[in-house]
Amino acid sequence: MSAPVIEVDDVWVRLRGQTVLEGVNLAIYPDDFYAIIGPNGGGKTTLLRVILGLLAPCRGEVRILGSRDAAMRKFLGYVPQFRTFDFQYPITVREMILSGRLGHITRRPRRYDEKDHARTEEALETMQITDLADRQVQDLSGGEQQRAIIARALVGDPKVLLLDEPTVYVDAPTEAQFYEILDRLRDRMAIVLVTHDIGVLPGHVTRVACLNRRLYTHDTAEITADMLEAAYHCPVDLIAHGVPHRVFPEHSREE
Amino acid sequence: MLEVLGFEFFRNALIAGVLASVTCGIIGTYVVVRRMVAISGGMSHAAFGGIGLGYYLGIDPLAGATGFTVATALGMGALQLRAKQQMDTLIGAVWAAGMALGILFVYLTPGFAPDLFSYLFGNILLVPRGDILLMAVLTVVIVAVVALLYQELQAVTFDPDYAKVMNLPVERLSLLLLVLIALTVVMLIRVVGIILVIALLTLPAAISRLYTTRIWSMMLGAVVLGVVFTGMGIWLSYLANVPSGATIILVSTLAYAGALGVERLRQAG
Repeated sequence: MSAPVIEVDDVWVRLRGQTVLEGVNLAIYPDDFYAIIGPNGGGKTTLLRVILGLLAPCRGEVRILGSRDAAMRKFLGYVPQFRTFDFQYPITVREMILSGRLGHITRRPRRYDEKDHARTEEALETMQITDLADRQVQDLSGGEQQRAIIARALVGDPKVLLLDEPTVYVDAPTEAQFYEILDRLRDRMAIVLVTHDIGVLPGHVTRVACLNRRLYTHDTAEITADMLEAAYHCPVDLIAHGVPHRVFPEHSREE
Repeated sequence: MLEVLGFEFFRNALIAGVLASVTCGIIGTYVVVRRMVAISGGMSHAAFGGIGLGYYLGIDPLAGATGFTVATALGMGALQLRAKQQMDTLIGAVWAAGMALGILFVYLTPGFAPDLFSYLFGNILLVPRGDILLMAVLTVVIVAVVALLYQELQAVTFDPDYAKVMNLPVERLSLLLLVLIALTVVMLIRVVGIILVIALLTLPAAISRLYTTRIWSMMLGAVVLGVVFTGMGIWLSYLANVPSGATIILVSTLAYAGALGVERLRQAG
């Protein structure tokens, strides 16, 4: 197996006196489609923020392609939780996607060159939003905005695409389209999908982990009853994707 | 009516108005899109502390205001970034404390404080030649910095988290933007005064936002509107013999109300 793209090594995070992450270990390999599930407030976004370098852990470290250097973050493509930034901002779709190249520009002052523009057109093409390129981001529909956000992540040639609750605000048809797109991207990069909604996991996920302060991993794509119980601390009804209504037996209450 | 152009004070006023409009349009655009209107208000009122300090030390009050406002901007920025303080509370504190310091300094300064009123409410018709030179230098600096760092400032004001992932110096750029706002505020004190700064900084940019889709076009529109508003304000205040700063602000506010009204009708119809 090739070297991991991302290694999370014994990461602990305390925020406002609360332990949010406790001894989290995680390795993402180039061919992974990794789903991290867990309840709201379980630390999913926090873990992503640590990986992205937006939050410093109080213990442990994150390595990207084996290095702790902050410059390695340019190999991460990030699709933030929908509506985390200001959609009223006067920016066109093309400008927004182009800005995803800034991490790769080494000359000063930073100016885009032909390669940056070519990559932007490619990303517009991949996400099928070329005809929207000169529209303002605020004038797009929810699904179109999300495709623009993914295009911005793709334009930096990421080794791994990190998606935070990508389907929360989109309707069902858009969601199906969205998973088709992820499927097409899989042979180009690793994908990490974070969600609280265990009903939406697409069939082609290769590995699953449950996060609730601690990370419960399993080497296959199965969500086991043990993992869920450990993560959610309560009986969980699971409706698996593609499987007609598989429900786990209710287990005895421990708390 | 064109004969007033023969007066030096009137030409100076127009030049000052154009310079102020250029910086206002550019920096005001960031203030509006990044929702920093309250921060700018806090800074301009804190500037009064610097003006008082200038009187007390016997130096040019505007020089005192420049140092004091830039220091306040950096202090607020650092507190927000490092201590994760709630910004609106910080703004409230800085706003009132700056004014209070100014009042104490003016009180402690022996004798009468000349043109104190013009710092509070502005008087573009009395801008001296030296101040015009200072405004011109500041305008050149601000235009140059924004031209050089346009992509970076766009990334940081649009999505600071993503800018950080791309390894841009987000903290330094945010502080730089606060310093640019502070310098702009000081420049505007001469034109409309501490209390009215906030309107000239934000209204042209806010109107321009209605008709533009990009940062640079929004800046361009805001500069043009600023020139129109200050020009009209100066001329009307001269004709009616009323305070210029207040006239400029009222012209801008009427235009803003008009633009919002037209926009509403357009959306309804």
